[in-house]
Amino acid sequence: MKILLLLAGLAVAAGAQAQFRMPSFDINKMVETVKNVGKAVKEIDEPEEIAIGKDVASRLLGAAPLVADARLQRYVNHVGRWLAAQTERPDLPWQFGVLDSPNVNAFAVPGGTIFITRGLLERMHNEAELAGVLGHEIVHVLRKHHLKAIQKGAQSSLAGDAMSMALKDRAGPARDKLIAFGTEMYSRGLDKGDELEADRLGIVIAARGGYDAYGLPSVLQTLQAISAQDSAIALMFKTHPAPGERLDALSEKMQPVLDAYASQPQLAERFVRQIKK
Amino acid sequence: MKCLAVLLILPAIALAEPATVIRATDLKQAPASDSDTVAALAEQTAVEVLERKSGWMRVKSVSGDGWVRMLALRLGSAGAAKPGASGLSQMFNVARTGTSGTQVTTGVRGLDAEQIANAQPNPAELAKLEKFAADRDAASGFATQGKLTPAAVAYPK
Repeated sequence: MKILLLLAGLAVAAGAQAQFRMPSFDINKMVETVKNVGKAVKEIDEPEEIAIGKDVASRLLGAAPLVADARLQRYVNHVGRWLAAQTERPDLPWQFGVLDSPNVNAFAVPGGTIFITRGLLERMHNEAELAGVLGHEIVHVLRKHHLKAIQKGAQSSLAGDAMSMALKDRAGPARDKLIAFGTEMYSRGLDKGDELEADRLGIVIAARGGYDAYGLPSVLQTLQAISAQDSAIALMFKTHPAPGERLDALSEKMQPVLDAYASQPQLAERFVRQIKK
Repeated sequence: MKCLAVLLILPAIALAEPATVIRATDLKQAPASDSDTVAALAEQTAVEVLERKSGWMRVKSVSGDGWVRMLALRLGSAGAAKPGASGLSQMFNVARTGTSGTQVTTGVRGLDAEQIANAQPNPAELAKLEKFAADRDAASGFATQGKLTPAAVAYPK
């Protein structure tokens, strides 16, 4: 693997050299380039992903704490953990938290941490809707959407060795920068393609869990009816494609799956019982 | 508290929200595609949603009452202020937390873009979060309680 990387690096370096017609062949410089290229393409492994996720989760909890209701938190963890068990990463340290905020939003943090706001939960009608939203967020973790975006962004903002420093030294300044960047990403959002993929696959995960597959479309309908002027939903609208567009994409691609699993339980009663205090 | 619970269920059973038909669709007698057709609804027909049931919505239209595929509808009449959500959930916020909830947007903490970008770590809350996590067995028992049966569903291509 090391050798492959080295070769790939050499090729890149050599290519660059040819392109810019550098006059002299500097072997030291070339070795340096190879070292950096090697670091840049290094995959963040699972323990690192989990560690980054914990640091980012801690910051998001600094923005909004958990709702002080152990029963509610456990309920959402049960739904989420059941869904996560139906996926290709069943053994991540999955944890789910309801943030005490009237804003309507949900966040997926690398390594298996999912947050949903009280504001979004209050607008739902049943457990199948909750499963649809958690399914969407679980897909972001499965497909490493945020992790990849963090890595991509960090490479341009953290020069040279800083990225590997940030991964190695959890108390250093490079780490701080990486986590600050990773947290700030939640105010800017992912690529539209990632969000639409999370919608499609999230529906599949909710259906695998035995829920009515229409949970997520139903939430999107609710969101669609919220005025864009409502400040509680401003960030969600800024960071996601419009709900109407998401519904169009689902009806185009997911109608067969939706209809095949439409008669599975919604669990409205259990949901209401848990959500009310 | 009973009162609150009733209020919470209300939107599910008695919502009458304006909606618009976004593509021509059939108004059905029952929430099933093989059910009898009451009328054909043209694009842009205004309806009122009375009830949701999975992929269907029961609506009141000029052509009569019946069921329409959820994905053929968009809630909200164009440009109108949002129905429902603010009033009910605002009341809920007060009951639940003892605050109006609006303080969050003016305080230091909150989930606006800027507040997220400037958030500082909160290790105490992180420890709580870890404490609430459920293991697979507990989640499995919870699913059984809800009569949830896992289904083998493939990801779309």
